[in-house]
Amino acid sequence: MAEVTIKVNGAPVSRDVPDAMLLVEFLREELRLTGTHVGCDTSQCGACVVHLDGRAVKSCTTLAAQAYGAEVTTIEGLAAGEELHPMQRAFHENHGLQCGFCTPGMIMTGIDMVRRYRAAGQELDEAAIRHELEGNLCRCTGYHNIVKSIRQAAGEM
Amino acid sequence: MSVAAPLPHDAAPLHVTGVARYVDDIPRPANTLHLAFGLSEVARGRITALDLATVRAAPGVVLAMAASDLAREADCSPSANDEPLLAKGEVFYAGQPVFLVAATSHRAARRAARLARIEIAEEPALLTIEDALAADSRFEEGPRIYVKGDATTAIATAPHLIEGSLTMGGQEHFYLEGQAALALPQEGGDMVVQSSTQHPTEIQHKVADALGLPMNAVRVETRRMGGGFGGKESQGNALAIACALVAQATGRPAKMRYDRDDDMVITGKRHDFRIDYRAGVDATGRILGLEFVHYCRCGWAQDLSLPVADRAMLHADNAYHLPNVRIESHRLKTHTQSATAYRGFGGPQGMLGIERVMDHVAQALGIDPVALRQANYYRAAPASGPGTGRRHGGAHSPKPEEIGPETTPYHMPVEDFILHEMTARLLESSDYAARKAEIASWNAASPLLKRGIAFSPVKFGISFTLTHLNQAGALVHVYQDGSIHMNHGGTEMGQGLFQKVAQVAAARFGVDPGRVKITATDTGKVPNTSATAASSGSDLNGMAVKAACDTIRDRLAAFVAERHQTDPAMVRFEGGRVHVGGEALPFEQVVKAAYEGRISLSATGFYATPKLRWDRIRGEGRPFFYFAYGCAVTEVVLDTLTGENRILRADILHDCGASLNPALDRGQIEGGYVQGAGWLTTEELVWDDKGRLKTHAPSTYKIPACSDRPRVFKVALWDGANREDTIYRSKAVGEPPFMLGISAWLALSDAVQSTGPNWPDLPAPATAEAVLAAIGRARG
Amino acid sequence: MVEGARARVVAGGTDLFPQLGDRLPDGDLVDLGRIRDLNEMGQCPDGWLIGAGTTWSEILRAEMPSGFDGLKAAAREVGSVQIQNRATLVGNICNASPAADGIPPLLTLNAKVILVGPRGTRRMDLPDFLRGPRQTGMRQGEIVAGVLVPRGVCERSAAFRKLGARRYLVISIAMVAAVLRCDAAGRIANARVAVGAASPVARRLPALEAALEGADAAALADPGFVRPEHLAPLAPVSDVRGSAEYRCDAIAELCRRTVLDALSRSPR
Repeated sequence: MAEVTIKVNGAPVSRDVPDAMLLVEFLREELRLTGTHVGCDTSQCGACVVHLDGRAVKSCTTLAAQAYGAEVTTIEGLAAGEELHPMQRAFHENHGLQCGFCTPGMIMTGIDMVRRYRAAGQELDEAAIRHELEGNLCRCTGYHNIVKSIRQAAGEM
Repeated sequence: MSVAAPLPHDAAPLHVTGVARYVDDIPRPANTLHLAFGLSEVARGRITALDLATVRAAPGVVLAMAASDLAREADCSPSANDEPLLAKGEVFYAGQPVFLVAATSHRAARRAARLARIEIAEEPALLTIEDALAADSRFEEGPRIYVKGDATTAIATAPHLIEGSLTMGGQEHFYLEGQAALALPQEGGDMVVQSSTQHPTEIQHKVADALGLPMNAVRVETRRMGGGFGGKESQGNALAIACALVAQATGRPAKMRYDRDDDMVITGKRHDFRIDYRAGVDATGRILGLEFVHYCRCGWAQDLSLPVADRAMLHADNAYHLPNVRIESHRLKTHTQSATAYRGFGGPQGMLGIERVMDHVAQALGIDPVALRQANYYRAAPASGPGTGRRHGGAHSPKPEEIGPETTPYHMPVEDFILHEMTARLLESSDYAARKAEIASWNAASPLLKRGIAFSPVKFGISFTLTHLNQAGALVHVYQDGSIHMNHGGTEMGQGLFQKVAQVAAARFGVDPGRVKITATDTGKVPNTSATAASSGSDLNGMAVKAACDTIRDRLAAFVAERHQTDPAMVRFEGGRVHVGGEALPFEQVVKAAYEGRISLSATGFYATPKLRWDRIRGEGRPFFYFAYGCAVTEVVLDTLTGENRILRADILHDCGASLNPALDRGQIEGGYVQGAGWLTTEELVWDDKGRLKTHAPSTYKIPACSDRPRVFKVALWDGANREDTIYRSKAVGEPPFMLGISAWLALSDAVQSTGPNWPDLPAPATAEAVLAAIGRARG
Repeated sequence: MVEGARARVVAGGTDLFPQLGDRLPDGDLVDLGRIRDLNEMGQCPDGWLIGAGTTWSEILRAEMPSGFDGLKAAAREVGSVQIQNRATLVGNICNASPAADGIPPLLTLNAKVILVGPRGTRRMDLPDFLRGPRQTGMRQGEIVAGVLVPRGVCERSAAFRKLGARRYLVISIAMVAAVLRCDAAGRIANARVAVGAASPVARRLPALEAALEGADAAALADPGFVRPEHLAPLAPVSDVRGSAEYRCDAIAELCRRTVLDALSRSPR
């Protein structure tokens, strides 16, 4: 067993968990934060993306123990009360989802890319969004409205 | 009015905040057991020894069961009772569940499932279409054959004969949410099942059978799926049955979720086909006679293969009038996963056959492929109704066979054909002719990269071909505070069905859709439902909900009309108010008064699609209520030295009738097109020579990613109402746009053709490797 | 700690955890990701040092000389952004997959592997370190502290290309890295070309490198420049990602284009 102490969505949590427990299992099973999804179990689909110390990672390729002392943000931690994060609002308004299963990962990835490009002073154009979204699969939408949503949010964040 | 408004998906606020619950997210009791299957690694053989001792001794394991441990037969088949939950002495495909483990955690169950000692005496496996043909291994006694006219003679006497053979691969659904079920045992042996399924009634039926209970002892609930695409029409049965059996045996809740690799290895996929064709054509490219032979690889069990293969035959004509045609269909039984429903349900395969024929004829005769298609189209639907100025029966009137509808190969008149106008508009809006010329000159100057452009139409038949399935029920309550609770037999898998139907309910009561609560599909509320499939979700359930709402509305109208001494027909429901006798009463006030006036505010609704009549053995009748149409122009570029390619631009014009929700419909069109293009380009399923699926993860099986979507993507809706009396004159939209993706594959073929004079004979999927090989053939 | 017989060292873990599936790792996992000394990257007296904790994202963001252009291009192709944020270059070479993205660029850069163990520090040439698929020259108790790229090659021009069923998220069908030194006339004076995913371990192509000496862009315009015998060290196999014949054709073309890319980046 490993003691895992993490700050999740701003609140410190501490649990004794099996050494090999993945971060996604920790979030879903220990904390009941089920908005982070398991889509492919092998780090390809991006449904499990969370922010680890402010950077997007796939929580199915990270052990909970490796996140010791880190800050984790999940889809549940984005909205300020009733006020949606601009990225959440954009996906809602632009029909950036159908079945919704990939949506949390898309939103977490979207926020990460907007922040990084802004920090680097680069323009997040459509080609850049396409490139950045390569680690997130969607089977329903054909991606059109997802790209549109991220573009809108990039202008509002 | 709420109908036709582009409102967002009802669950969007839940999805973007991560609180929407899928089966795996539902809070479960602490003593829940987790299940996993132990699988056969052999495609065909006899089980000579099965020792589960090490499985049972593994940490966390509570129960392990083989077929011999089951008290009664547990069958998963939706059709022929030929799918035992666990292999009974014999295995029929690599990936078949042989035993079941229940443990205290998901991981413990999966780890234990690898520990069994299974000995299987291998026997030769039939893996391919050719294997099955050689062994005459098939479902049904022989091929199904549909005939119209005399194809053999027409081909023999035609000026030109074009023949060939096309292979097309299957397709993994890759719903992002894998299969999942949760069974919760109830008092007195009853069972509640939460299932990620398109067909709750089937789950209820199969679980009840496996438990030895009547259907009334099993209740199935489905709030949503993370994608279905047909893959959750029958493939969820095994998980639900397994969970229910374990729950019955242990008295503990039981949950099962396939990991992605298990999901891909165990469950069925789209049927792969080989289609052989012989076409007799005249000098202008008109098809005089056509023979198709469909070879359909069904896998080990019957599942839904017969109606899938039927629907392939029913779409062998696509949009083209075939005066003399013969379609022969072989449903071949192999030792592979049991192929199942997948968006289009055989339609895409049948359609790809004739689209290939069109291209082949165009190439052989040197005719423009679009002009050739237009020349072979069905006759346009005649204008009808008063004022259209047609007189019939006069001495000089045209004979009905000259102006009336032409018939399909299954003798159904095509009364609503609108592709002539749609094609003209799309060719214009996409600037097809100018771009085709520009591409030709660009290609002439570009030795390495070649571009291609292609047009393809879609005519897709709407209705279940098993006629009795074309029915639906609904249950609507209006509560005394004026809020509305809506339930129907359809399931939500992301397509927006619930939102559309809620808009219908809101429109019937003239209230804001926010007043309508959409609730989980529940076999205890609406019984005997059909699968949410065949694109029929909003057609059927929208009508059933409308009927239920109208019953309540009529009661309300009669109630207020009486109080205001007016005719109920004069009462209007609009803008959240009830308009009666010059007054506009708030809806909730009328509802409250009606409640106090002891008026029933709850009603069921029912709908059965009219006009259907179908004989699937003779291939004759009217299997479809109407057709949905669409067309697309796609431009691609390929690299002639590596075969790599991408879609540059797609222009789509699609017919949703009078759309119930244009935003949701566009989503179906965009997503359907990309999924269809994926089927025909990057999505390749590979089995090894032992019948083991090698592409069982997204690292090897490539669904379209964001960069695969067209750079320029223009989607427009055709703004005509459905000629048939459907819900607000809308049309079904789930499956038809999938086949617009065929234009991407045709465009690749066009680009390949520009590298050389010979017929490139591109197969599907057109992977980079297949494209490179086709370039070799084109160059000769 | 790392002397434990069954311990396994991880940095990002992005290769290891999907491989393990639900099997518990055998023995302990030692996470190097937080050891600051191993995260260093930058110039040292012998050249450029890339510490074991350096992620692909850090390589992408770093200011590095032109010789690393191929490595950076490879970094962009590794998995996806979320993977690049966790996965490390050193983890990639230690995992020693035939299709490791980092290996061909490092081969063309003559990289040396720095190993640290109970008996001290030693350097190994990368080709010696790579013993076979998933086999390395690491001894019991050793870890790879970093990779060293010798000073001389840092300023050359470099390129990398990868062929897949799709550009991203794919374990390659084939990949090629090239590093060139050119003369003032734009002719190749020295070439190094390495190919991955086409043999049990990624290989340099000496015959092709020799043929490239003296060649210029005009010579390379010939699609037949790369001949089958140039690819002799390779042994492409048929698998779900493509047939051997397809790979051979594609690799020849990929080599030609990668060299042309590097040539176009060469300062005149």
